[in-house]
Amino acid sequence: MDDKDSFLHLARPLGPAQVGAQPVTAPLSVTIQPQAIFSILDHSLRRNPDQDRVIGTLLGTRSEDGTEVEIRNCYAVPHTETAEQVEVDMEFQKTMLSLHLRANPREVLVGWYATSAELNTFSALIQNFYGQQGDGTWPHPAVHLTVSTEPGREIEARTYISAPIGVTAERADESCLFIPVPYEIKYGEADKSGLELIAAAKDSEDRSVGVMGDVESLERAIEQVLEMLARVSNYVNEVIDEEASPSNALGQFLMNALSLAPKVDPADIERDFNNHIQDVLVVSYLANTIRTQIDLSNRLATAALTLGPESTGGATGGEGGQKDRQDRRGDRNKGRQQQNRSAES
Amino acid sequence: MADPTTYTASSPLKGVQVEALVVMKITKHSSQTFPTIATGALVGMDVNGILEVTNCFPFPTVDVPSQDGHQDTSNLAAAAPRAKANVAYQAEMIKHMRDVNVDANNVGWYMSTNMGNFVNLNTIENQFFYQRDINERTVALVYDVNRSSQGSLSLHAFRLSPQFMSSYRENKFTTESLQKSGLRYQDILVELPLTIHNSHLLTSLLHQLPTPPPSEELKFPADLADLKSDRLTKQPPFDPNYDALDLSIDPFLEKTCDLLLESIEAHHTELNNHQYYQRSLGREQAKITAWQQKRKAENAARVAAKQTPLPEDEWQRLFKLPTEPSRLESLLNSRQVEQYARQVDGFTPAVSGKMFAVKSNLLPGEGA
Repeated sequence: MDDKDSFLHLARPLGPAQVGAQPVTAPLSVTIQPQAIFSILDHSLRRNPDQDRVIGTLLGTRSEDGTEVEIRNCYAVPHTETAEQVEVDMEFQKTMLSLHLRANPREVLVGWYATSAELNTFSALIQNFYGQQGDGTWPHPAVHLTVSTEPGREIEARTYISAPIGVTAERADESCLFIPVPYEIKYGEADKSGLELIAAAKDSEDRSVGVMGDVESLERAIEQVLEMLARVSNYVNEVIDEEASPSNALGQFLMNALSLAPKVDPADIERDFNNHIQDVLVVSYLANTIRTQIDLSNRLATAALTLGPESTGGATGGEGGQKDRQDRRGDRNKGRQQQNRSAES
Repeated sequence: MADPTTYTASSPLKGVQVEALVVMKITKHSSQTFPTIATGALVGMDVNGILEVTNCFPFPTVDVPSQDGHQDTSNLAAAAPRAKANVAYQAEMIKHMRDVNVDANNVGWYMSTNMGNFVNLNTIENQFFYQRDINERTVALVYDVNRSSQGSLSLHAFRLSPQFMSSYRENKFTTESLQKSGLRYQDILVELPLTIHNSHLLTSLLHQLPTPPPSEELKFPADLADLKSDRLTKQPPFDPNYDALDLSIDPFLEKTCDLLLESIEAHHTELNNHQYYQRSLGREQAKITAWQQKRKAENAARVAAKQTPLPEDEWQRLFKLPTEPSRLESLLNSRQVEQYARQVDGFTPAVSGKMFAVKSNLLPGEGA
C-alpha cells in the first residue's frame, strides 16, 4: 500500500527460547483480507470522542509452521487508556472470542489491532497479553496490526510481531520489541464484484452507489477497454509518425499480447456463434413462456370460483369446472416440460 | 409490534443503505460456506425510512456429518435465522456490539443463494419470523454467489408484503381466501432499492488501492520485466470490473434450465395435489348427496308410517370433507419462476452483446 519506507525482513529465532518450547521464527508473511481492514476503519469511526485510538482482536488462519498468517476477521474490544494506565475488557474479549469461534470454527486468534501508528508502553503490555500462554496466541507470536486513521492522511498499515525484551523480570511484562513484518492486502475472486461496487462509489460526493445491473457494468467495462485501446493505438501511431519516442519494452509487450489472438476458421466461428446465440435465445424464450404459463395457471386457479352466481351457489359445479381446467393445464405443462427437455439436450 | 397495514400506510421503508463493510462480510461468509447457504444477522438503524445496515455477523452453523445427505445440512443452515440457539446468540452478540458503539438494533438477516434459487418456504418463514417477532422494520438481504462471480454484484433487499404477512399469520392459502385477499404471487416479496455507502476513511483507503490507469504522461519502462512488475499493471482496478467481459454462457444456461425444470416439476406436483383434492372432494360430495337422498326417502317412508322423521343434517358428522391443500407452495414456486425469468432477461442482452462483439472481432468485415 505504501512504498515510502521498506524493511529488510529477516527470519530468526525470537529472543531466548522458553524452557521446553521450540524456538519460534517470525511469521514471514501476513495476508490481510479487505473486510478486516474495512472493519477496523469502521471501528475507528465509532470510537468515543475522547479516545485517540481503539483496539480489537484479529482472527484468521495460520499455516502449520506458523510462518504464514492470514487475517480474515476482527472485532472491536473496548478499552480505556489514560496517561498512567490502560484497561482492556478481558471478559468482553473472552466472550466475544468464543462467540466468533462458534460462527467461524476454522478461525483462530492471531493478534490484535490498534487504530494509530504509534507504539508505546501500553502497546507492549497489550501485545504481551495477546501473546501470553493460555488465552493468547502462544507458542506463536501475536501479530500486531496498526492502521493509522488520521483524517486527511494516507491510511497506513503496519504489521509487527514481538520478541520479549526486558531489563528485569518485573519489567518484562510491559516491554517488548516490535519487529515489523511484511504484509499484503489480498482479495479473493469472490470479493471482486463487491469491491467493484464499493470502488465505484469512491469518486461520488455522497459516497454511495446503487446496485448495477449486468448490462450497466458490462457497458462500463467495455467503455474503459475501448478507451485504453484508443490510447494504445494513438501511441503506436505517434511512434510510426515519429512524434513520440519508441520503447522496446512496450513494443515487446504489445507483440506478446497480439500473438495471443487465436487463429480460427471463420466457418467454425460462425457455427459456434450461431449455436450459442440460439441456446441463449431459446432459454430466454422458454423461461418467459414458462413464466407466462404459470402466471396464467395461477390466475385460472383463483378465477375459477368467480365465474358467476351459479358457480358460487353450486359448489360442485364450480369445482368441477375448475378441475377440468386444471387437467388441461396439467397437460399443457407436460407438453412444455418435454419441449424444454428437448431444447436442453 | 405495529399492525403492518396501518404501519406501511404511515411510513413505509423507502430503501436500504448498506455499508461497504457489510457487503464485504457477506461476500466473505457466503463464499466460504458455498455451496451451503450462509445466513447471518444485520444490525443498523432506521433513519427516516431508509434502513441503514451498518454491520453484520454470521450465524454459527450446525456441523452435521455430511453422511446425512446434502439436503439435511442445507435445510438446517437455511433455517438457522429462526433457530432458538441463534436467537440467543444474536442477542448476546448485539449486547456486546453495543459496548463498542455499533448500532445495536437488529434490522434483519442475510442469506446467500445460488442462481436466484431462494424463493422457498425457508426464506419466507425466516423473514416472517423477523418481521413478526423481532421488529417490523427488517429486511432480508439476498446475496447470489454464483451470479456475483460472473460480473456484477448481485445483492438484493427483500421484505414480505403486508398482505402476505396477514395471510401467512392466519396460514390461510385456500383458493377462497386468495380470492378474497387478492394476493398474487408477485406480491409476496417486495424488493427495496439498495445502495452501497462508504465511510470517509474507506473512501480514503480506496483511493490507495488499484485504480484505473492514470491519464497523465508516464515514464517508459526500461524493459519487459520492469513493465510487468510495475505496481500499476500488477492488479486490474476494482472498478470497472473486467470480469464482466468474461464470456461464459453454457454453465449459466445449463443451471437455469435445471432450475426451471425443477420448478415445473414442483408446479406439477402441486397441481396433482390439487387434482387429487378435487377428486376426493367430488367423491365425498357424491356420497353425501347419495346419503341425503337415502335419508329423504327413508324419512318419507317414516312419515308415511307415522314415525318421527330422522334428522337430515347428520351427514355433517358422518362425512368429513377433505381439507384443501395450501396454495402457498405453488405461489412461492410461481414467484421463483418469475425470479428465474427475470434473471435470464438480465443475462440475455449482456451475453448476446458480448457474443456479437467476439464474432465481429474474429471475423472482421462481416459483422460491420
